Amino acid sequence: MADTIVKIENLVKRYKDLIALDHLDLEIKQGEVFGLLGPNGSGKSTTINCLLSLLAFDKGNIEIFGKKMTPDNYEAKRNIGIIMQNVAVFDELTVIENIDYFCGLYIKDKEERRKCVQDAISFTELHDFTKFYPKKLSGGLLRRLNIACGIAHKPKLIILDEPTVAVDPQSRNKILEGIQKLNEDGATIIYTSHYMEEVEQICTRIAIMDKGRKIAEGTKDELKKMIKNTETVSVEISAVPDDILEKIGTLPHVYSACFIGGKLEVKCSGGKHNLIRILNVLQESDLHFGRVFSELPTLNDVFLEITGKALRDSD
Amino acid sequence: MFLHNLKYDFLQNIRARSLMLWLILFPIILGTFFKLAFAGIYESTTVFSAVPVAVVENGSNQIFREVMAQISEGDDALFETEYTDEETALKMLEERKISGIIYVDEKLSMAVAPDDTGSSAESIRRTIIKSFVEQYNAQQSIIVDTALHSPAKLPDVISMMSESSECNENVPLTNGNPDNMLSYFYNLVAMVALLGSNLGLSIAISSQGNLSDIGARKCCSPTNKLVSIISSMVSCIAVQTVCIIISVSFLAFVLKVDFGSKLPMVYLAGSVGGMAGVSFGFAVGSIGRMGLGAKSAVTTAFSLICCFFSGLMIGNMKAIVDNYAPWFNEINPAAVISDSLYCLNFYDDYTRFTQKIVTMLIMTVIFTAIGFFLTRRRKYASL
Repeated sequence: MADTIVKIENLVKRYKDLIALDHLDLEIKQGEVFGLLGPNGSGKSTTINCLLSLLAFDKGNIEIFGKKMTPDNYEAKRNIGIIMQNVAVFDELTVIENIDYFCGLYIKDKEERRKCVQDAISFTELHDFTKFYPKKLSGGLLRRLNIACGIAHKPKLIILDEPTVAVDPQSRNKILEGIQKLNEDGATIIYTSHYMEEVEQICTRIAIMDKGRKIAEGTKDELKKMIKNTETVSVEISAVPDDILEKIGTLPHVYSACFIGGKLEVKCSGGKHNLIRILNVLQESDLHFGRVFSELPTLNDVFLEITGKALRDSD
Repeated sequence: MFLHNLKYDFLQNIRARSLMLWLILFPIILGTFFKLAFAGIYESTTVFSAVPVAVVENGSNQIFREVMAQISEGDDALFETEYTDEETALKMLEERKISGIIYVDEKLSMAVAPDDTGSSAESIRRTIIKSFVEQYNAQQSIIVDTALHSPAKLPDVISMMSESSECNENVPLTNGNPDNMLSYFYNLVAMVALLGSNLGLSIAISSQGNLSDIGARKCCSPTNKLVSIISSMVSCIAVQTVCIIISVSFLAFVLKVDFGSKLPMVYLAGSVGGMAGVSFGFAVGSIGRMGLGAKSAVTTAFSLICCFFSGLMIGNMKAIVDNYAPWFNEINPAAVISDSLYCLNFYDDYTRFTQKIVTMLIMTVIFTAIGFFLTRRRKYASL
């Protein structure tokens, strides 16, 4: 069984009357890409800041690498890489100087550091920009520099707090690929985001948070199995008579059928061939239809079913 | 770790253009303006210069000519004399090219222009001409009377007249430069020193996890906060010292501001003042959660207010403050810095200068202690 890298027990953080973290428990194993998914204000960043001993908390216990995390637990800090939501680099230093500076906060040996800096530059593909000042970099390159500064010292645990906010799709894909590569190289990753697609794409285990509480945890498949919905069939159609809609609603495994805005949406729970059965009913009724979609549940569906609101609505 | 931090702190500071603008360019520009504005004020208002007069002779008077030649020679000449005819002399007087006309006849007489300028300098010049003419006539009368009535005593009389009859001893107030305008340049150096507070601000902001993202990133690293702050302090003080040296050198060697013969001590005073400025910025930066912009506005405003009360904008402001609240001049960093430079120039011994330096060092220690006390916190209630 893999070692536990991070263990959070019964963590409570209050801002006066607001409970930012409500008895949170988390356990992250070595080698995982652990996703913290939730809308803005759900407590993801607060969890990370408590984990890093930046924020004081009211109750609970945090252990990293098997030891209690405190501001002067330098041994743990030496093995943690942090990539903040906001780019945290010095405008007065060039790309290579920034990476060397932050790497130097962890690694004293010059030779070792030089190699680490070169590796970080290669990893983030910043070769052509090493002499550039941050202000001359595009948003995507700046994010890559931010990542390079966080990972240059080759940490065992890398924490990425919404690293893709305001990043173009191409750069976002590069960042996500990079994170997977870091994981393949042996790092344990904690990844926070409110973009469910990203979390689904890279995370091996996910905790969904809302209002400071962990509302679900597991692999993406385990999370999806927690909810009733297994398939949503959508059909573009001009009109559906009420009797037909009622008939579809009585089909096996169908638990919801509705017609909204020129689209028939049918939600199914389990079963096979749901799509064929629905289309048969429409054909038998001589109804002409356009495009047909069959979608598996997403983490948004999981969030929606548990909280009664969509992830995006909560932003 | 310390040297690594020091290297990059130094690079950041010298590449921060806005800081360099405030710490080097601004004092150079302001100093140049001061020099242009005050050029010659001291010479024209305080230093004595020869009084321009025209002499109109209605007959040859060799003795008068010799007397005039004697008192119109050398660096401390009393008159700048021009022998001419009456018409030209009157024209020169009308055009204010001369301060008066001395008519040479049996006795001397004089003419000056109507006093419509209100200039105290011109008034003094007229008084000098009048005194000279009166004294010359009086002495001439004594010599003539003696020659007529007691010719045997004439040599003694002339000898007595030749002796200096000054009852006052000239004791110079200072061996330094007594130009009052220098206080503006002292305050300029004080301003540069205090504007170093902006450098100090960056130390606090970039080491506090709740004030900047860089601070948060640093707090997450295994580098001891004390090491990080000390290296930043050393770097900022070094950069500030270089800025002070550049500013003072520019004033002393380019603008030819006369700081006296103790220039190395001027550098020392400016540098210690710079330390006080940097530590003040560090203390302010550590207080509260305002951003860099707001705190920078606070320190800049504070620096300028301190400089205002020490006389950067109004020369005699420090004297006014000394009259109503003398304690304020003792705690106003700008006043302490400019006073230290004043003491250097004005007093031969270093007692008062040393007092001012010690005051600045105490300020530095207090501000630094406040900064350390407020930044030592390891966890924050909120970010």
